[in-house]
Amino acid sequence: MRGEALYLPLSPYASLLTDANMPLITLSNVYKTYRHGSLEVTALTDFSLEIAEGEFIVLAGPSGSGKTTVLNLVGGLDRPSAGAVTVGALEIASASAAVLADYRLRRVGFIFQSYNLIPVLTAAENAEFTLMLQGVPRPERRRRVTELFIELGIEGLEERRPGDLSGGQQQRVAIARALAAAPGVVLADEPTANLDSHTAEELLDLMRDLNRRRGVTFLFSSHDDRVIGRARRVVRLEDGRMVGDSTTNR
Amino acid sequence: MLTALAFRNLWRNRRRTLLTLSAMVVSAALLILALGVFSGMIDDMLATTTRLYHGHLVLAAPGYHAHRDLHAHLPEVTAELPALAGIEGRLGSTPRLRAFGLFSVATSSQPVEILGVDPVREPAVTTLHRQLVAGRYLQPGEQGVVIIGSALAKKLGASVGSEVVVVTQAADGSIGNDLLTVRGIFTTGDSRHDGRLAVTSLPWLQHLLVLDGRIHEVTIAIAEPMTAFTVADRLNTVLPAGIAARDWGDILPEMRDAIASFDVSRMIVVGILYFATGLGILNTCFMSVLERTREFGLLLATGMRPWGIRRLVLLETLFLALLGSTAGLLGGFLLTWYMQAIGIDLSGAITPITYAGGTILPRLRAVFEPANFLVPAAMLVAVALFAGFLPANRAARLDPVAALREE
Ligand SMILES: Nc1ncnc2c1ncn2[C@@H]1O[C@H](COP(=O)(O)OP(=O)(O)OP(=O)(O)O)[C@@H](O)[C@H]1O
Ligand SMILES: [Mg+2]
Repeated sequence: MRGEALYLPLSPYASLLTDANMPLITLSNVYKTYRHGSLEVTALTDFSLEIAEGEFIVLAGPSGSGKTTVLNLVGGLDRPSAGAVTVGALEIASASAAVLADYRLRRVGFIFQSYNLIPVLTAAENAEFTLMLQGVPRPERRRRVTELFIELGIEGLEERRPGDLSGGQQQRVAIARALAAAPGVVLADEPTANLDSHTAEELLDLMRDLNRRRGVTFLFSSHDDRVIGRARRVVRLEDGRMVGDSTTNR
Repeated sequence: MLTALAFRNLWRNRRRTLLTLSAMVVSAALLILALGVFSGMIDDMLATTTRLYHGHLVLAAPGYHAHRDLHAHLPEVTAELPALAGIEGRLGSTPRLRAFGLFSVATSSQPVEILGVDPVREPAVTTLHRQLVAGRYLQPGEQGVVIIGSALAKKLGASVGSEVVVVTQAADGSIGNDLLTVRGIFTTGDSRHDGRLAVTSLPWLQHLLVLDGRIHEVTIAIAEPMTAFTVADRLNTVLPAGIAARDWGDILPEMRDAIASFDVSRMIVVGILYFATGLGILNTCFMSVLERTREFGLLLATGMRPWGIRRLVLLETLFLALLGSTAGLLGGFLLTWYMQAIGIDLSGAITPITYAGGTILPRLRAVFEPANFLVPAAMLVAVALFAGFLPANRAARLDPVAALREE
């Protein structure tokens, strides 16, 4: 099967790197403007950022500051208007739609704020979905998802529909889906925004833990200070510009 | 899993799906019923003329049919040709001799077609013996008796037991003239038969016409009338010179055209009805796709390809279509079955209608014809897939970023 190595749970993103010293993700002088007829909205202005593999980094900033835009660019959902976005050897701006789709399928895991799951699929089926798209056989999918559910503390909920799960449980299923394909990068857009602060902190600790144990790079956005406080590196955005990049020893 | 996903998506809005489905089922079932009844009329039309009088295939001298020429006769043994025994699904074959003349009772005279038949073999080909309203049918060996149409009897003032005077031209140029006793009176519903047909025994007519041992035609009935065309073609390659086989389509070209036009009308009826059904399906699909914009964004974000999304939506409409056409087939089968077994008698309300040489009987009766089921079912699936195509395309072309921004 094509890309067999991608399914290995450890350091799968190593193959993304052309040079061990290079950062995994690079955004350099990125501009992003959205057009609505004659109206132009500038979401990012001259935005540059480098992220090494294995980092746990949060994008902080008020609503409309461009956090989602950065995540969409890194995730290959969108292309920059100017500047360059590279992940490993992949140049997002010039990649074809098919290459980007394949990149999203195999290299990136997405977690959104809410409505992350397909309501008619069970928790396990949701988590298996990307593996299914990759053509991984069913028993293997089940095996991996069962392991992940145990690791994420949601074992026993496999057959539940998302509607029968709490917000925190739903986000854990979303994490399971993001991790199931063993991607190099997990992108989470305000994953805790709809959770109470206790559940939010638990979820964040879980992600931090996964980041440490699996070496997966986590890039997420938040405007909740308690969440931001748990990240080692915080990149602050305002009006599409970077206004701060700080790393604490945590 | 994609199949399961498509199937479950169908039931997300249970009421909407069921409403669309019931529209599909009702239209398909009623369509099947209507086509079955339509086929029943065609069947009646064909049967009233072929099984009452013409038969499905006729062997005659090549020029006989055009002018009903008294002198274009064949030996009676033509009815015994070995080629006839080999006809697939043959119900019977019978020799006939035909004359045109006058019947008179007292002072009234009427023009008649006198058909000389074999009373034993004729009932295997035509059903005239079952249409008697008075008296009885010809007996084997019985001479000098006749059965006549009810309208003819009325015009002549004749009843069972009446004697009629026959005048016709014989083959030797003399005037053939004799007495016949009315043994039975028939009513077919077809005015041309009821008003001028008289059936007598073959030897009696041969004698009257001075045509002993001669006949004009051999009339054949088969189980599958629609195969008559190929049977006739095959017969014509093996028949001796001077004998030609004609099928009912040659004998009744208007009937052949009427039946051929049924195939066209069927498609038109199906098309019109399904246009409306298709719009309903289109509406359902569009609504279900628009409601799920964000979800499609999510699927695109996880790496699903646009064609995967197109396939998902089309799979949903396919399931809808398969469910609809299966239930429609079942419903149509039950309705057709009911209308075949029971039917509706309209003889109190309308009189028989003569059309394209046949008679549409005053009844609603359905017949089973595979095309009447296959065409509506297959077209429903086609229409549904066609209606699903636009929404599927729309879903596949979504911009994931914009789709994900939707709440
Ligand atoms: N698809 C789009 N079309 C038009 N404008 C857009 C689009 N996406 C983002 N924008 C605009 O770009 C700017 C940055 O948006 P973005 O979603 O990146 O901000 P954000 O930091 O994620 O905000 P929030 O906290 O509300 O999610 C905003 O002004 C937004 O309205
Ligand atoms: Mg956002």
